[in-house]
Amino acid sequence: MIYLVIMRHYNYIFSCRISLGYRMSEELAQLLWTEKYRPRTLDDVVNQSDIVSRLKIFVKEKNMPHLLFTGPPGVGKTTVALALVHDLYGEDYRRYVLEMNASDERGIDVIRTKVKEFARSVVVGDVPFKVIILDEADNMTADAQQALRRLMEMYVSTTRFILMANYSSKIIEPIQSRCAVFRFVPLSREDVVGRLKMIADKEGVEFDPDALDAIYDITEGDMRRAINILQAAAALGRVTVSSVYKVVGLAHPKEVREMIQLAFAGSFNDARERLRKIMIEYGLSGMDVIKQIHREIFSPDIKMDEDLRVYIADYAGEINYRLIEGADDEIQLNAFLARLVLLGKKLGASKS
Amino acid sequence: MALQRASDRIPWIIKYRPRTLADYIDQDEAKNKLIEWIKSFPKVESRAVLLYGPPGVGKTTLVECIARELGLELIEMNASDFRRMQDIERIAITASDKGGLFGRGRVILLDEVDGINARADMGGLEAVLKLIESTRVPIIMTANDPWSPALRPLRNAAISIELKKLSEGNVIRLLKKICSSEHVECDEEALREIARRSEGDLRSAINDLESVSRGSGKVTLDSVRAIIGYRDRERNPFETLGRIFSARSARAARAAAGSTQLDNDMLMQWINENIPAQMQDPEDLWRAYEALSRASVYMGRIIKTGNWDLLSYAIDLMSAGVALAKKSQDRRWVSYRFPEKIRYMAKSKETREIRDQLAQLIASIDHISTATAKKDVIPYLSIIFRNNPVNASKLAIGMHMSDSMIEYLAGPRAKDVLSLVKEFEKRIRLRGSGKEEKAEGRAETKAESETQKRVQRRASREDTARKEAGLDRFIK
Repeated sequence: MIYLVIMRHYNYIFSCRISLGYRMSEELAQLLWTEKYRPRTLDDVVNQSDIVSRLKIFVKEKNMPHLLFTGPPGVGKTTVALALVHDLYGEDYRRYVLEMNASDERGIDVIRTKVKEFARSVVVGDVPFKVIILDEADNMTADAQQALRRLMEMYVSTTRFILMANYSSKIIEPIQSRCAVFRFVPLSREDVVGRLKMIADKEGVEFDPDALDAIYDITEGDMRRAINILQAAAALGRVTVSSVYKVVGLAHPKEVREMIQLAFAGSFNDARERLRKIMIEYGLSGMDVIKQIHREIFSPDIKMDEDLRVYIADYAGEINYRLIEGADDEIQLNAFLARLVLLGKKLGASKS
Repeated sequence: MALQRASDRIPWIIKYRPRTLADYIDQDEAKNKLIEWIKSFPKVESRAVLLYGPPGVGKTTLVECIARELGLELIEMNASDFRRMQDIERIAITASDKGGLFGRGRVILLDEVDGINARADMGGLEAVLKLIESTRVPIIMTANDPWSPALRPLRNAAISIELKKLSEGNVIRLLKKICSSEHVECDEEALREIARRSEGDLRSAINDLESVSRGSGKVTLDSVRAIIGYRDRERNPFETLGRIFSARSARAARAAAGSTQLDNDMLMQWINENIPAQMQDPEDLWRAYEALSRASVYMGRIIKTGNWDLLSYAIDLMSAGVALAKKSQDRRWVSYRFPEKIRYMAKSKETREIRDQLAQLIASIDHISTATAKKDVIPYLSIIFRNNPVNASKLAIGMHMSDSMIEYLAGPRAKDVLSLVKEFEKRIRLRGSGKEEKAEGRAETKAESETQKRVQRRASREDTARKEAGLDRFIK
């Protein structure tokens, strides 16, 4: 049974009104399941138990060092960080927490203004510090990291940082050494399938059990993607293995593969058209495209000489590097396609 | 020779400058657009117009004619004036202060805005942008090269109107008219030659005509050839491309790239667009793209390091590198195309903005970056929106999506989802007591995107979710 909840908000004070008198057969305002079923407290977190038990000690002592959470996407770094601050400060935690995503705000300016501003302000409350959560910190520029390192030192008495990164190697060492590092491991099949089943049951979704296994096989322990796939597949009806694959196919533009094949067949212009479609209609960056190309190259669905896969991967890496150097997306990928056209032609010639 | 009169000493270019709109020939499209715009001011899409076109096609003259015709006072500022922030602000004050008290409307002409110098005119561009936002007087700006990166912000803030090069026929006709009122004997061939060399620049054509006829009172093909040198013109994109792709030496290719009115990024896009048509052979194709790719890397490094010394290497590769990529003998002329990328980007601007807003919204709700939202969430949302209007509408309401976001996600099913959203919202209003909140929430999403409000919305949204979770447990 669910009740309609309507709320009104003023600045940072929330007063919630629950109209209990109006019972509804269904909830009309929905969130994505990734958010709806995100564990709110450390107790709700079912996996990563070693990490969770250590963090609970920080909560009990109301004290903690700077933290660095590392691990692949979708294993619960953000969830655990949010649950931690929730447990530290209670429902009202947002007053004590600044949450930022470094891939959207990655420059030194942000560190010098927003982060510094927040770090230097003084807190009132029974926890003697505030927390800054910096997600995808490995996307911060090197100079921003240097600036951050100083802030971490200067304001350690009033502010703790929780940094999150896919790879700790992209975080400069002075920062790593200032943090307690927690390595999150990919979620096990049982964890993911169990969670998906729980959600499906709560949402009243019909499913074939092997469909959930298929989702795990595809996502390899990335809970966010797994839940998103489940929700999308559920929108199509009963969740089956085939509907799962259908959803995944729809979500990932097949144009990338077609583009590769067209270039190999020598149709540069058509391949370039696909590229434009991918970049403009799907909004993918050059970096996204080259990474997806890289995945496709090793897919068994693309027939090519095995040596060639390595050779193309090498060139894809080179293009990736040029993009990092700030080169134009489309020009770089066109160069890549031109290379494929050339390889395709040579190959065709040697075969005949 | 006739008597020397005072009027003989006035350069023809001023003497024959059109005074009225009736005298102003050609450019009908631009003329009508501009008049229309001034007449409907301030009920216009933007309070500024960017009038662009190559030199000598009559940009300033057109503005003067229109001002005179409509009885407007023209407040002008051109490249000879300092255009720092305070100068622009002064103009703004002159123009708007007591404007209309004298019963006469005004129009501000900022001539040659591409000449606003980043260093010498500190803050000038910003001041112009501010002026455009606040002005009560129409602002007309002129520029030669609308693609100049420095002009990008102005381009976005203003309505662009293009003045085209004059046709050779029109140039000849005007020259003839001048010849007859000056009683100069001209032969047809000579005028054609002047017109051809002017490349649609009427001002230079009239200057040439005057300098040839002065003294002799006669204009012949020989005298034209003898007296007039070719101007070192900035080439338009098509000519530049032609010269690059046909260059047989590295030197010639570089010279071609050096004499263009395009900025380097734009030139790269033009080359990028046209390589495949020029290079049929896969070897050539690849070599050309590899060179262009290297050029683009240098451009990236310039942006990253701020070191403009690298520019000449970038130009080497995009011009000579591309030109000399062609080894095969197959030579045929293919027409050049405007960079499709630029067109695509312009066409898809609105869609991309909606997608960005949507990604920001999702990022703030789901604690992820906008990049992750685009890559890992939007594709799945889109599947839901295109296949299951009921689930989609609930998500749209729960996430406070704007109508345009819903349209973006649902594509062909947008109508279904939108009407369901309306219906659900009505139901919510009937059942709950917090009418305004719901409606307000959605309107807000549409209107604003500042972080502050988003954070608040997100926070309240989370409260909902938490309360639900709490209630769930309670009930069980």
